Amino acid sequence: MLFFLDTRTNYFVPVRSVLSTVVYPIQTIAAFPKELTTWLSDNFQSQQQLKEHNAELEVTNLLSSIRLQKLKALERENIRLRKLLGSSFRLRERVVVAELLTIDLDPSYQQVVIDKGQRYDVFVGQPVLDATGVMGQVTAVNPFASRVVLLTDPSHAIPVQINRNGLRAVASGRGLGEPLQLEHLPHNADVRVGDILVTSGLGGRFPVGYPVGTVVSVNFPQGKSFAEVGVEPAAQLATSREVLLVLPAKMVEISKKSPETETETETETETETETETDADADADAEVQE
Amino acid sequence: MATNKSSHSGVIVLTIVFAMLLMILPLPDSLRFLRPEWVLITLIYWAMAVPRLVGVGFAWVVGLLMDVMMGGAIGLLAFSYTLVIYLVLQFHLQLRQYPLWQQALSIMSLILLADILIILVTPTMAGWYVWLPAISSTVLWPVIYPLLRTVRRTFNIS
Repeated sequence: MLFFLDTRTNYFVPVRSVLSTVVYPIQTIAAFPKELTTWLSDNFQSQQQLKEHNAELEVTNLLSSIRLQKLKALERENIRLRKLLGSSFRLRERVVVAELLTIDLDPSYQQVVIDKGQRYDVFVGQPVLDATGVMGQVTAVNPFASRVVLLTDPSHAIPVQINRNGLRAVASGRGLGEPLQLEHLPHNADVRVGDILVTSGLGGRFPVGYPVGTVVSVNFPQGKSFAEVGVEPAAQLATSREVLLVLPAKMVEISKKSPETETETETETETETETETDADADADAEVQE
Repeated sequence: MATNKSSHSGVIVLTIVFAMLLMILPLPDSLRFLRPEWVLITLIYWAMAVPRLVGVGFAWVVGLLMDVMMGGAIGLLAFSYTLVIYLVLQFHLQLRQYPLWQQALSIMSLILLADILIILVTPTMAGWYVWLPAISSTVLWPVIYPLLRTVRRTFNIS
């Protein structure tokens, strides 16, 4: 049967890509009413609202730039220390901004469609973030759009670690509105309610250190060998409209790096958003010493 | 009024495309699980009314497109739509004779059949709400049937 073959093998990836290009116009039309209303509300805001919004944004911008200053110093320190150790250093990841198509898919799958596809070098397995945390990863692409499976999908699991003590675990989805579950943690695992989970980078798919969620419940059920740990996702899975697609960072050997290769990588990865290029340049300057 | 077969198929395809739009139109979360199987009931109507034009093959193609659009396993909806339309084609003469409420009940059983197939294969956390589309489709059938009949008579499709 066709669906059996599809779920077990990869033969239908190109077929799916072609067919999803065929249905893409239907999806765009379905998303149109929502887009129209957002466009209207964007264009007919009062000056008062805009002023308030602007003030708010200025405050947050100030706060973030203060944090960023500190981060830059830490990054330099990190590079110096790693240089001492002679270990490799991951450059900061670059991102592309994409927008969600506001359409509903089958509610039994936790998936969304975004408006960037192969034309923007989106690839299967690419991590997707929003402003507050990890959202999920790309599962299918066509030239114009791609499909993202969210953290809460029952078929999705993500390697994480606890920020407080570095304990590694795997968080898997449990469906719409349900908290994620940490799998296979023994009863004596050091997990507490309120612990923050970040990506561990194991498996090589998600970059290290992005927030995944917060532990909201810890149970040690009698007679079961593993703890039951519920995790509330950090990303606004239901409300985000803009998402960030992460381009993979390059592993760079600090000791053996030549300036030319570095500038090349800098220019060849064009993103259409402004991506902390100055921070990267700073880091490079530091490295080249 | 044009009576050639291609324009008739065009009208049918248009109604199907419209049904597909309704399938993915954003709804509030509370209503999401109530969404009727628009495409399936439109297909059932056309298979019942004009079995000459809408057959198992057409249902398969529509199901395949739906699979890709909804992001499930390719061929799952195609298979369930094909099965349902096959049954409709077998019984379309009886179905036409039934009063509207009895038709609605037969259609509920057909949609339940399709849903059972889908639920068996989908790795979902099934709750009671997975049966809601069958019920909402049944409730809406007495509205959709006259509507599509009007379309059919307007374009003189038989």
